[in-house]
Amino acid sequence: MKRSSILATAFGAIIAASLAANASAQETLTINSFGGSYEETHRALVITPFEKMYNVKVEVVTAYSADTLAQLRAQKDNPKFDVVHFSGGLEHAAAAEDLLAPIEPAELSNYDKMYDFAVAGLDRGIGPTYSTAVIGLLYNTDQIAEAPASWKDLANPDYQNHVLFTDAASNTYGMLGLLMINKVAGGTLDDIEPGLEFVKGILPTSTVVSKSPEIQQNFAQGNAWIAPYAQDYAFTLTKAGLPVKFIQPEEGGVLAPITVNLVKGTKKRDLALKFIDFSIRAEASQGWAEALRYTPTNKEAKLSDEVAAQVVYGEDAVAKLVTFDANEIAEKRSSWNEAWSRAIAK
Amino acid sequence: MSGDARRMGREPAILLAPGLFFLLLAFFFPAIQLLIQSFLTVGAEAGRLTMEHYAKIVVDDFYAGVALRTFRLALVITVLCLVIGFPLAVVISRAGKLLRTTLIVLLILPLMTSVVIRTFGWLVILGPGGVLSWSLQQLGLIDRSISLMHTETGIVIAMVQVLLPFLVLTTLGSLGQIPVSLEEASRVMGAGFFRSIRHVTLPLSVPGLASGSLLVFALSISSFITPSLVGGVRLQVMAGSIYQQMTGSFDWGFGAALSVVLLIATLALIIPYMVVTSRAGGKA
Repeated sequence: MKRSSILATAFGAIIAASLAANASAQETLTINSFGGSYEETHRALVITPFEKMYNVKVEVVTAYSADTLAQLRAQKDNPKFDVVHFSGGLEHAAAAEDLLAPIEPAELSNYDKMYDFAVAGLDRGIGPTYSTAVIGLLYNTDQIAEAPASWKDLANPDYQNHVLFTDAASNTYGMLGLLMINKVAGGTLDDIEPGLEFVKGILPTSTVVSKSPEIQQNFAQGNAWIAPYAQDYAFTLTKAGLPVKFIQPEEGGVLAPITVNLVKGTKKRDLALKFIDFSIRAEASQGWAEALRYTPTNKEAKLSDEVAAQVVYGEDAVAKLVTFDANEIAEKRSSWNEAWSRAIAK
Repeated sequence: MSGDARRMGREPAILLAPGLFFLLLAFFFPAIQLLIQSFLTVGAEAGRLTMEHYAKIVVDDFYAGVALRTFRLALVITVLCLVIGFPLAVVISRAGKLLRTTLIVLLILPLMTSVVIRTFGWLVILGPGGVLSWSLQQLGLIDRSISLMHTETGIVIAMVQVLLPFLVLTTLGSLGQIPVSLEEASRVMGAGFFRSIRHVTLPLSVPGLASGSLLVFALSISSFITPSLVGGVRLQVMAGSIYQQMTGSFDWGFGAALSVVLLIATLALIIPYMVVTSRAGGKA
């Protein structure tokens, strides 16, 4: 009895001491990032400069979007995160579950510099899109002299045997590509049959892969000449020495936003907002385009000619980009997955 | 006396306990959970009892087709492993010590590498512009690049390579127990080489062939990595389908129902096979 009370006192003292130490230390902001080279770029463009500028510490937890969402759910009453980054539309799910906090336009100094689509959901808790992947067409410049112009060019007989699709059931970019093909073929989110019919029409002479390394392999081996996929992945292929170029077809490319969101219930709202504002400044937007070929969402981002040629850039080009409703995608995804699997099954 | 008897009854039980405990924890517990899940609804009205998942498997010819392909492939792979593996096992068991060790090492060596790596090797060989296509083109046998990727033939080739060691090793165990004198006797009595194999060696190695082919069949029916990498998304097998349901569509109920059907169908095929082969083995 006595011993335990001594222990308790000792513990109390230790806890008190550590609390005092914390109070005098730098303020800490907890965020997630996606790991690997993405996280390295993230640190260089945003995290480290932010720490220096505001003399704070940013604690980075490496967690993909789905894991982050799961953690937010579990910590709903006492969130560990202050700011979370999402891709794949999961910010819509998180906002719908009341896990994210709305932001006032006046709270972000960069608000006016952003493209409309990038700040469209602030009042619903959907944070700004700080950069975005774009789905369009990748093509082999050695085999295809004249750049394809339309999504319909996938059915061009000149490319027969060399069209590559990515599995829509297991790959989000594959699904976004299918939705765009469907839109061009006359379908809607309520009816993806026209898109499936279009794909089925060229399927007998095309290849379907499920993972992005297979796309690289197929381009490298000369099997693929043209593929609906992401602009940033075209850069991966270019870096690997392949003669591959990305174009936004005339009907538009598809947005796959990457967002930075304010966690509901964070105790560091002000600092979190500063971080979000810092994430969407023009330099960061530009940096993402230079490092990984994501399209800038800040209108003031300035790109060199070389980079600009590889990404969807400038107000005219950005105006063509198409957004598919993330909530509707989430709701219908499993039935689409099934319809797609059936359509492509041999 | 009676104490001894009791102890002798208890000792095997003690020896069995760790294995049994592990089996319970790692197999029966998850299997029962899957069984329960397969009868529950998902989505908005989660948790209600339902037969809808099973109804979908039965009514829907898509999943019946996937199941049929899975069993057909497993059967072809098992037969090929038997046809290639039995002669190989005979050669290894009758070879000199040095050759025998070398062959066994060669056989086991691939098992030291992850199945993913071995499958990637096949991608390089079977793919468009791969080694196979290139060689045939150089020999003038074909004029445009071919690919066995995303074909059932490709799956079978890769799977036989991955699973062959299991069959050969179990068969070797049986062959090792056959006294060489039996074969010698049959040869002395005038049987030719093939006749001796057919009437002496083969029947006596049935137990090894049976457990080996069971192993190969069970592994290939549940295999996931090789069929999904070599076969691709257009040639679904059951394990890949289950994976897709669980991780892509988040339809755990239907994925669970597919798993239960796979388990039951596998048991329904394997148990009669075990009974028949153990009788045949026992007679020999």
